[in-house]
Amino acid sequence: MKRNALVFAALLIAIVAMIAAGKYITRVRHHNSVTLVGDVRGVPAPDFELASLDGRNVKLSDYRGKAVVLNFWATWCSPCKVEMPWFVDLQKKYGNEGLVVLGIAMDDSDNAKIAQFASEMGVNYPVLLGTDKVSDQYGNVQFLPTTFYIDRDGRIIGKGTGLLGRGEIEENIQKALASRVAGVNKAQTSPTPSTAAKPGTAAQ
Amino acid sequence: MKQLCMSLLLALVLVQIAAAQEPGQTVPTVEVAPVGKVQVKAGAITRVELDFRIGSEFHINSNKPHSELLIPTTLRLNTTDPIRIASVTYPAGQDMSFPFAPNDKLSVYSGDFAITTAVKALPSAINGTYPVSGELHFQACDRSACYPPKSIPVKFEVTVVNR
Repeated sequence: MKRNALVFAALLIAIVAMIAAGKYITRVRHHNSVTLVGDVRGVPAPDFELASLDGRNVKLSDYRGKAVVLNFWATWCSPCKVEMPWFVDLQKKYGNEGLVVLGIAMDDSDNAKIAQFASEMGVNYPVLLGTDKVSDQYGNVQFLPTTFYIDRDGRIIGKGTGLLGRGEIEENIQKALASRVAGVNKAQTSPTPSTAAKPGTAAQ
Repeated sequence: MKQLCMSLLLALVLVQIAAAQEPGQTVPTVEVAPVGKVQVKAGAITRVELDFRIGSEFHINSNKPHSELLIPTTLRLNTTDPIRIASVTYPAGQDMSFPFAPNDKLSVYSGDFAITTAVKALPSAINGTYPVSGELHFQACDRSACYPPKSIPVKFEVTVVNR
């Protein structure tokens, strides 16, 4: 009986360890690029360069020093439409504190349709045209909306899959804003990238 | 020992259920039921009902969603002579509200639904069995997330029988 209990405990520990290992494998190398898997908190956000709706090339690394919300969405995604006005409001509210919302449109539809949709939604932040590559980099984004919260040091501090409450989104944003760039004073942490839209300005 | 194995199995099942319930961890499925024998005479039309089942917790847009931005469910079928698809009839969607937009009604299919096709054999058709193949294109969502558009294959055979 005692032996059975020990075997049971050992097997249970092994199972828990395997699950934990799976959860905390934070990244793997795949086709020479970093791909996020598992629990991504604390992992450096993979850099990318994407075209924006207004024809610029935008790199994530341009926003180092800012708190970044990376929101994957699509015009056909009804839950995404619920979040977008919140992101518009939060961009207004926290833009001066260093928040940058980046919308990544995962549509196959033409840019004009995406631009019209973003305009109708009053989007006041850059909208980037998503690619399979960036989807893969961020763990093969299959569920929309999916949102990553990135601190000023370029590390992911949170991820939301599916529609979250506005309170939870704002809480993640506040955490990202509260972060500091490693080894840099607060006063030095708000560079405005020359190639990127300023927070609070229309991207289209 | 038997109890031990059962306990472990139960633990594994519970872990799997817990993992599956995390948002975005399950993948929507739409399956088509096998189509029985379809027979038609030369020059005649026969109706073929295609039965689909959507995985629980998911819904897909109907063929006529209320917004042009939403991706409608469509069935595309390819035939070769002497078989033609005369028409495809979609069921009406259910107008439903979801937690992500409680004030909006979306026209969706959920659970089981059927699409009816009218299959026609040309008057010149000779006896034989002819394949019909195509795909159902749809875009699924659950109560908090949406999934990329997807297609599943649909195929059946039509036998022309002239006496």
